[in-house]
Amino acid sequence: MEAVVASILLLTVAAAVSLKSERGAIWLSVAALALLLVVPRIELLMYSMLIVAIALINTASLTVKRNQITGVDYSLVALIAVATMYIAYTNNPAFILAAFVLASVPTYILVMVGDRANVNVAIKYITFMVLATVLFLIGAFLLFYTEYYPSEILYTLGFVMLILGLGMEVGCAPMHEWVPDVFTAADPLPVSVIASITKIVPFVAAYKILILTSSPLTAHLTLFVAFIAVVSMFTGNIGALTARETSRILAYSTVANMGYIMTTLVVLSSQNYLYLAFAGALLQLIVNAVGKASFFTSIKVDGTSTPLMYLIAMSFIGLPPFMGFYSKLFILMSLVGAGFVWLAFLLIVNSAISIPYYVRIARSLARPTIPGRATAIAFVASIIMLITVIPPNWFVDVATYLIGGV
Amino acid sequence: MMEYEIPLLFIAPVICSLPIAFAWVRSPGAKWAEKLAYLSVFGLFISLVIALHILFTYQEGRYTIQWLPEYNINFVFIFDYLSKYMGALTGIIAFLIGVYGLEYMKGDYRLGWYWFFFNMFTASMLLVVYSDNLLMLLIGWEGLGLASWGLIGHWFRDDDEISYVGTVGRKVGPLNMFWPPSMGGWRAISTIRTGDMPMFFAVAAIYALTGTLDISQIHWGGLFHMIGYGGTVLLCVLFLMGPFTKSAQLPFSEWLMTAMTGPTTVSALLHSATMVAAGTYVFMRMSWYIQPWNLHSMPGVEVVYIFVLFVGLISALYGASVATGCRERKVLLAASTMSSLGLMFGCAAASYWFGKFAILVAFWYLITHAFAKATLFLVAGHLIHATHDRFSCGDLALAKRMKVAFAATIVATVFLVGIPPFTAYWVKSGMDEVIHHIAHEVGMAPLTLLILTSLLYSAALAKFMSQNFIKGPGYHLHLHGEKLMPLAYATMVSMLVVLLYEILTGTEHVAGHFVEMGYVSSSFIVGLGVTAAYVIGTYKPSISALSKLGTFLSDRMEMPFLNDYIVPGVGWVIAWLVGLGNSAIDWFCHRGIPSAFNRFSRSIRSIQVGYLRVYLKIALGFVMLVIVVSAMGWW
Repeated sequence: MEAVVASILLLTVAAAVSLKSERGAIWLSVAALALLLVVPRIELLMYSMLIVAIALINTASLTVKRNQITGVDYSLVALIAVATMYIAYTNNPAFILAAFVLASVPTYILVMVGDRANVNVAIKYITFMVLATVLFLIGAFLLFYTEYYPSEILYTLGFVMLILGLGMEVGCAPMHEWVPDVFTAADPLPVSVIASITKIVPFVAAYKILILTSSPLTAHLTLFVAFIAVVSMFTGNIGALTARETSRILAYSTVANMGYIMTTLVVLSSQNYLYLAFAGALLQLIVNAVGKASFFTSIKVDGTSTPLMYLIAMSFIGLPPFMGFYSKLFILMSLVGAGFVWLAFLLIVNSAISIPYYVRIARSLARPTIPGRATAIAFVASIIMLITVIPPNWFVDVATYLIGGV
Repeated sequence: MMEYEIPLLFIAPVICSLPIAFAWVRSPGAKWAEKLAYLSVFGLFISLVIALHILFTYQEGRYTIQWLPEYNINFVFIFDYLSKYMGALTGIIAFLIGVYGLEYMKGDYRLGWYWFFFNMFTASMLLVVYSDNLLMLLIGWEGLGLASWGLIGHWFRDDDEISYVGTVGRKVGPLNMFWPPSMGGWRAISTIRTGDMPMFFAVAAIYALTGTLDISQIHWGGLFHMIGYGGTVLLCVLFLMGPFTKSAQLPFSEWLMTAMTGPTTVSALLHSATMVAAGTYVFMRMSWYIQPWNLHSMPGVEVVYIFVLFVGLISALYGASVATGCRERKVLLAASTMSSLGLMFGCAAASYWFGKFAILVAFWYLITHAFAKATLFLVAGHLIHATHDRFSCGDLALAKRMKVAFAATIVATVFLVGIPPFTAYWVKSGMDEVIHHIAHEVGMAPLTLLILTSLLYSAALAKFMSQNFIKGPGYHLHLHGEKLMPLAYATMVSMLVVLLYEILTGTEHVAGHFVEMGYVSSSFIVGLGVTAAYVIGTYKPSISALSKLGTFLSDRMEMPFLNDYIVPGVGWVIAWLVGLGNSAIDWFCHRGIPSAFNRFSRSIRSIQVGYLRVYLKIALGFVMLVIVVSAMGWW
C-alpha cells in the first residue's frame, strides 16, 4: 500500500521532469511501475507483474512516435496502471470509486494526442465517458445507500445504472456507438492504450461493488446483464464480419470481448462459481489488453511479423494453448456451473462467428519480420499469450485473492 | 478335438486359398501359381472331412466360443438335424465343384480372385449353416453376398460373349435384354443388399427386445406376445426380406437369372448348396425353433406363414414357367432353381399347420435338389466348354460322344422332377401330402400351384435334357479330353442314388416316412402326371406354334423392367429429390446465411453515421428506457 503512495509521488515528479527531459520521465514512470511490484502476497505479485507488463507495452507503444505531450503520456499510462493495481488492494467503496475515476480520466487527454489529433472524436469520447462515469457513480452510491437503508427499488435502479455505466464506459452494445468512431478516427497509438489497460478497472470495480452490496435481488437482475452481454457479443462479432478497416474490425472486436466479459457478471448470484467467473473475466481482460495494444501498434507501423500476428489472432479466437482459450474456458465453465448453459452456448456460437475476422486482421497486418519496436511489442504480447502453455490453474487463486481484497 | 476342429472348418478353406490369391497378385498367369489351386481344393477337402465328422460323430447340441460375453454375443455353433446334414451337403458339393473347377477354370486370367472368393463362399455358407447366433450368421450371410458379387462378376472385362446372359443386341422397348458379367455382379449385390438392410434392422430389434441373439434360446412365443400383431408381422417380414432376396423369390428374382454370367462352377455352387439355399435354410432354421405350430394363439404368426406360403408357391410357378421358355442352358436351370426354392419356402411355411415334418420335407427336397442341380450345372458347364455355346444345342451324336454327361443328365433330371420311384418322387409325395393336408386351412390354391409347378418343372428339365442331347439345334463340338469334370458330376449324381437308398431302406429315420406317403394314390397320380410332362418335354422340346409365348417366358415375363427400369427410375426420382434438398442446403449455407449475416452486419454498422447527437439519442434513449422499465417493473 505504501508502495502505491510512493509510486504516485514518483509520477508527480515524473510529470514535472517531463517538461525538461523525456528520458527522465520514462525512467521515473518505469520506476513508479517497478514500485508496484512490491506487494505483500505472492498472488498479488502475479497480478501486478501482468499489469506492469501491460503498462510497459502501452508505454512502449507511445514511444513509437512522438506526440504533443510526449513525456506526460508515459506518466498517464503509469497512473492508470497505479489505479489498476490500487483497486486490487482496496475494498473501501470510496477508494474503489476513486480508482475508477483515476483509470478513466487520463484517457480523456490521451484520446486527443497523436498525428490524427481530432477534437470531434475527443468530444464524442469524453461525452460518453462522462455520462458513463456519472451513471456508474450514481449507481454505486445507490447500491451503497441500500446497504444502510434497504430498498428494493433503489437497489434495482442502482444495479441497472451501474451496469449501464459500466457498459458505456467499456463499450458494450447498445451503448457502443463511440467505439467504432474513436477507434478508427483517433491515432492508433493512444487507442492502443484506450483499448487496452483502461478496460480492467471498470470491471474490477463493478465486481467489487456488486459483491460488497450483494443482495438476494441480484439473482433477478442477472437477466438484464445477460441481455446486455448477448446484444454486445452479437453486435460486435457480426458488425466486425463486414468491416473493412482493420481498426474498425478491432473496435467491433472490443464490443464483442466486452460482451464476453459482461456474461461473467451473471454468475454473481452463484457463490460457488464466482471466483472462476472473475478469473475468466480478468484473464479475458488481460488477453484483450495485450492483444489490442499489439494490434493497434501494428496498425500504426503498417503491419508486423506474420507469425506473431497470427498467434495473437489465434489467442483471440480461443485456440488452446493460448491465453484466450483458458479465459473463455473459465468463463464457459463458470456459466455452465452456475446454470447458464444457454449463455455458454451463445458464447461458443459467437466465438465461431469471430474466427473469420480475426484471421482477416492477422492477414491484413502480416508483414515480413523486421526488428523494431512494434515487433518487440508483438513478441512480448505473444509471450504473454503463451504463458498458459502450462494450464493457469494458479490464476483462479489470484482472482480469488484479488476479489476478496487485502 | 472340438475346439480345433470347429474353427478349422471355417478357416481352412480361406487360409488355403490365400497362397494362390497372393501369388496371382505377384505373377498372374504363372504356371507355378496355377498349381496352387490344388491347395485351395485341399482346403475345401478339410472342410468336407470335418463336416462329415460332425455329421457322424457329434451329439446334438451347442458349442460356444466366447466373443462378447458381456453383451451375450458369442460364436455359438449348433449341431442339430438341419445343420449336420446341411454342413455335410455343403462340404461335399463344394469339394466336388472345386475338383471340377480345377479343370474348368484352367487358363483363366483371374484364378487368384476366383479361388479366394470360391473358398470364402464355402466358408461363409458353413458359418451360416452352423451358427446359432444371429450376428455370427450375419457375418456369414454378408460373406456370401460379397463372394457372390466377386464370383458373378468374375469375368469383369465383359470381353467374352459366352459369359453374357440374354441375346446380345436384343432390345425390348428402352431396355437391353442382355447382361454382361459386370452387370450381373452388380445386380446380385444390389438386390441382396436391398433385402439385407431390413434384415439387419430386424436382427437388431430382436436383440433389443430379447437381449440375446441365439436362435435356439430366444423365447419366440414371448417375443411375439410382447410386440403384438403388427409388431410380429413387421418384424418377420423385415427379417424375411433377407432370405427372400438371397433365395430370389418374387419380385427379387432377376439377379439370379443374370448371375449366370459367372463361371459355371459358381452357378453350380450358388444354386445348390450355398447362397440361394442359405435363404431357405435360414427360414427353416428359424421355423424349427420358432415352432409356429405351437403358436396358434399368437396373433400375426399365421399371416406371416400364409405370406411365405404364397410368395414361395407363386415364385415356384413363375420360375417353372420361365424355365420352359428358356433357350440358354444355364438360365433355364436358374429359373428352375428359383422354382425349387419357392417350393421349399412354401412347404416349410406349411409347418405352421402341419408341424415339424413339413420343414423336414422341405429340407429333404433341398438336399435332393442340391445334388441334382449341381450335377446339371456341371454338365451344362461341360457342354458350354465343349460346344462354345451357351444356348442349348446338341443331338444324339453328341450324347454318344459325351456319354457320362448324358447319363448324368438323365439321372439328375429323372431323380429331381419326381418320377416314381426315384428320389424326388418320395420327397415330393411328402410335399403333396403336406400341402394337401393344409387345404382345410388355406384352401386348394396351394395344392393347385404345387401340381402346376411340378408339371411345368418336369417339362422344363426334360426340355433341357432333350435340347442338349437329343433334339437340339446344330453345334460344333470341341472336346478336350476332360477327365476331372465328368468324374465330378458322375460322383455328384451318384449321391442321388445314395439318397434313394436311404429313403427306400428307411435307414434314415425321417426319410423312411416318405415311403408311406409315396404309396398314397393321389401322390402316385401326380407322379404319373409329372412323368407324362417329362415325356412330352423330351419328345417336343420346342413348339414353334408357341414361340411368342416362349419369348415372353424367356424374357422372364418382362420382370427385367422392374429391375432395370422401374426401380432405377424410382432411384433417379429419389436422387433428384435429394439433389433438390442438396441445393437447398447449399443455397442456405452458401447464400442464405452469408447474405443474412451481411445484411445484419451492415445494419449494425449503419448507425455509425458520425454524429454525436445520433449516438447520444440511441445511448441515452436506451439508458432512459432501461431505467424507466426497471422502475416501472418494480411498481
